[in-house]
Amino acid sequence: KTMPTYKLSYFPGRGLGEVSRQMLHLSGTPFEDNRITMDDWPKHKESTPFGQMPVLTVDGKQIPQSFAIARYLANQFGFAGKTPLESAWVDALADQYKDYTTEIRPFLMVAYGFGEGDKDKLRKEVAEPAINKLFTILEKKAKENGSNGHFVGSSLTWVDLLVSDHMGILETHVPNAFTAFPTVQDIRKKTTSLPKLKEWIDKRPVTPF
Amino acid sequence: LCLLMPTYKLTYLHLRGRAEIARDLFHLAGVPYEDIRYRLDEVPTISESLPFGQVPMLEVDGKKLPQSHAINRYLANEFGFAGNSAIERAWIDAVADQHRDHEIEIWPPFLIHLGLEPGDRDSQMKEKIEPARDKYFTILENIAKENGSNGHFVGDSLTWVDLLISEHVYTFTQYFPGFLDAFPTVLDTVAKIQATPKLKEWMEKRPVEKF
Repeated sequence: KTMPTYKLSYFPGRGLGEVSRQMLHLSGTPFEDNRITMDDWPKHKESTPFGQMPVLTVDGKQIPQSFAIARYLANQFGFAGKTPLESAWVDALADQYKDYTTEIRPFLMVAYGFGEGDKDKLRKEVAEPAINKLFTILEKKAKENGSNGHFVGSSLTWVDLLVSDHMGILETHVPNAFTAFPTVQDIRKKTTSLPKLKEWIDKRPVTPF
Repeated sequence: LCLLMPTYKLTYLHLRGRAEIARDLFHLAGVPYEDIRYRLDEVPTISESLPFGQVPMLEVDGKKLPQSHAINRYLANEFGFAGNSAIERAWIDAVADQHRDHEIEIWPPFLIHLGLEPGDRDSQMKEKIEPARDKYFTILENIAKENGSNGHFVGDSLTWVDLLISEHVYTFTQYFPGFLDAFPTVLDTVAKIQATPKLKEWMEKRPVEKF
């Protein structure tokens, strides 16, 4: 059976597209890393299912929504947990992470340069509580899972990738954000040192988010 | 058969809210479960036992699972309401996540409009609720049409995203009759979903909750 053709369309940044790029690289799957600039985006918006990116195109069929894409690829390549309950726990952690991104958004928008605001005030009042809330949950889960380098089960899942990459972005804006979360730091260390991932991280475009 | 079936327990509030899709799935599958409902002020007393300090929570043979979409997808996969291909499953997830984004936009002004949260009641409908509705339901109307106006939002059999949208439409049209009249394919699709016998039966006999 011939391999499908994959195209991932997103902005020139990590953001919501990076976890999917990482799974494509980790699985050694060729794909078109279709980066569309903010300036060009209005031309392409109408051609996407929900007027948003990322969009994955698989043999010409489009899939929108970052976590739908991530879960689809994770299931294709074996990064979705080994049992239905493990997969469900990966989903639960990912959705908790998504709730967190909604909470921390006012800070990140200013930190990324997409809005005006008092970055220090927002860091203290918005970012730090949101980080503490999520990472307390993640630290607990990582320990309950056996401090084995994964949040769920005993092999790499897309939530390991999702959290690890976000930590890399966040720490440039919130120094020492993860001091209280050593088990989560271990997951990040173990995940980002996987050879195929490290190779991608070392060569990928450097972007502000 | 009963010996092989897991025991299920669903913990939530005295609301349909984020647990109702799971309840719908149990009834559609004919699977018994313990339907535990707490008052909002009781939740802090059970917070320690909740993995994320939040409800809903599902327990499967005592193993806990939080987060409503994770619960819905898990049960849908177990009971056969999760689509018939990998691409269909991805589209179900995509519409469900788009729906979740819509709920984040529409629920706060909805609660203010009802006087359940502080805020300017009078401005919510025109300034927040109607624009949020129009943005999302225009997408859903297209999705229903492109799927063949076949009584489902994705694929050709009942899935958990059909239930997600159906319950949302149920609540909003109950509070605001005519609210979705500009989206006839959506309304028709939801009517077909709600006519599913086991679902209809549950909707008729379930506890009456605020939303």
